[in-house]
Amino acid sequence: MSGNPLEEVVSGSISRRLKIVIALALLLAGSPIILTYGLLILSSFSTNMVTDPLLTDFQPTLDNWIMFLRGQITYATGGLERNVVEMTLVTLTVAVGVALTATLVSLLAAYSISRMEFKGRGVFTAGLIMLHAFPGVALIIGVYMIFRIIGDVLGVLGEEFYAIAYIILARAALEVPMAIWLFKGFFDKIPWELEWSALVDGASRVRVWWSILVPLVKPGIAAVLIFTFLAGWEEFIYFYVFLKPFGIDSLPTFIEEIVAAAENYQLTIIAAAGTFYLLPTIVFFVLTQRLLLEAYSGGLKG
Amino acid sequence: MRLDRLFTLAFFLGPALLIVITFFFLPLLLTVYTSFTNMRNWNVDAYLFDIVGLYNYKVLVHFAKYDPMFRNALITTVVFVAVTLVVNVLGGLTLAILTFFLEERISIHYRLLWLLPRMTPVAVYSLLWYYFFHSDAIGTLNRILLLAGVIDKPINWGSYMLPLGTWWILIFVNGLVGVSFGMIVFYSAIRSIPWEYIAAARVDGASNLVIIRRIIVPMIRWHLLFVTVWQMLSLLTTYTHIFLLYEWGVVDRTWGQTWSLLVFNLAFLPVGELRQGLAAAAATVLVVIGAILGLVTLRILGFQRMITRPRGDI
Repeated sequence: MSGNPLEEVVSGSISRRLKIVIALALLLAGSPIILTYGLLILSSFSTNMVTDPLLTDFQPTLDNWIMFLRGQITYATGGLERNVVEMTLVTLTVAVGVALTATLVSLLAAYSISRMEFKGRGVFTAGLIMLHAFPGVALIIGVYMIFRIIGDVLGVLGEEFYAIAYIILARAALEVPMAIWLFKGFFDKIPWELEWSALVDGASRVRVWWSILVPLVKPGIAAVLIFTFLAGWEEFIYFYVFLKPFGIDSLPTFIEEIVAAAENYQLTIIAAAGTFYLLPTIVFFVLTQRLLLEAYSGGLKG
Repeated sequence: MRLDRLFTLAFFLGPALLIVITFFFLPLLLTVYTSFTNMRNWNVDAYLFDIVGLYNYKVLVHFAKYDPMFRNALITTVVFVAVTLVVNVLGGLTLAILTFFLEERISIHYRLLWLLPRMTPVAVYSLLWYYFFHSDAIGTLNRILLLAGVIDKPINWGSYMLPLGTWWILIFVNGLVGVSFGMIVFYSAIRSIPWEYIAAARVDGASNLVIIRRIIVPMIRWHLLFVTVWQMLSLLTTYTHIFLLYEWGVVDRTWGQTWSLLVFNLAFLPVGELRQGLAAAAATVLVVIGAILGLVTLRILGFQRMITRPRGDI
């Protein structure tokens, strides 16, 4: 055990019994989380909803998944059919778009904040934190008005491409302030001497940024890409406000809609849809555990 | 040379400025402006210049006094923010301290577990609690209590002992998402306490509780303050989880609406009249509160220290 001396001082000096008590208490406190996630996933593989912690209802089947992936969301013949592939693609496009946009924009801006002196630099950097503090509700009314006004002017209101492009930019914007702060922290830690000689030799700042600094913050880029992807993937309100009224389905609005009318649908198929929508989160969760804790302690999201 | 520098700066800062102006600055101005217009049904053409002065704010005050929907939203907001804030801060602190007392290889799993709700898509997360609090025997909570013999027929939790049942669900669901933020911030703050302090206290025979009270908590008081203000702001403005619980009928319609959800519903809910002017006025009230809390946060963060001059700018 490599060690943080603080951890050894604390952890090493409390009794084993107390540690077991703490571990059990934490497990008990966390049990609703384990229970609800477990039951949802199990239900998606069962003929009826598994809500009993003793799992007495569990009757294994793959039907829910087959039905869901075919877009059939009820067992009744002639039941509703949806294009699951299309709505997954829409959600995925937005998530990837948000990730790429937010990461690139922040990577550029953070460099200038970390390395260049300009008028208003302090105000801008302070303003970024303030932006994060502004209520999403206050923004969304204005954001929607801009959506309508631009769409009207260009004559593209209601067109799929415009709506999706707009939602990507608008949603990415919400991630930009925190991502800039995170990248600024990464850039600040890089010794200035590394780029200094390149600048003296006449390389442009853009070149220095791209070939010296960007490769050095790769771990930060990976973290921001994952987090912004998840932010886009888990988004609900923007899909609901900007896409749904124009007849474009996405995973979150689809789930919202079928649950709102749950009596007409098979609950276990909704469980399959929910589990399907949860998959990337679980994959990233497992693959990036350490990164996850570090990035969050860097204050990526409030 | 100067022009060259300007181009470079535009290259780096331009995209961020553009996105910030388009999606933060302009919307904020538009929202405040809209609050002085008679905007409704998103009819931008008809109402964009239909300025009514402070009318929407007067309506807001009037409704807050006499309309149960508005009044309940105000009360629910106060209770929701206050209680969830306590849950988030104290819960986060408790989790941070307890996981800190365990070895890292065990504690990391617990800290990860509590991050899961934060990372889960909102629709799925709400779906989990939809099943958990379901009013029939299918609901997990009802099922557990039925099995344990505590109740003999399923309870409709969302309307159980109104408004308590509804508030409890809102606080529980949002609290689980919220504790992780405090936990992570506090945990890393605790880890940065010089270990000699705790070692010395140990040598002097201090108990765990004394160490927590006399060393850990005082040393992270700035983090406590920061998390409190930041979470208060987040709670005031959060509404997505609440919207789904409200839409799906998990919580009671008259008591399950916080101020920020009220803003959203007034502007977007396709039931009844959509009054964006009034919604914008209600949102502006939140903006003012948000701006104040944001400034307090900056003070706490010790902003001047963080924004030292860049090294080696040439």
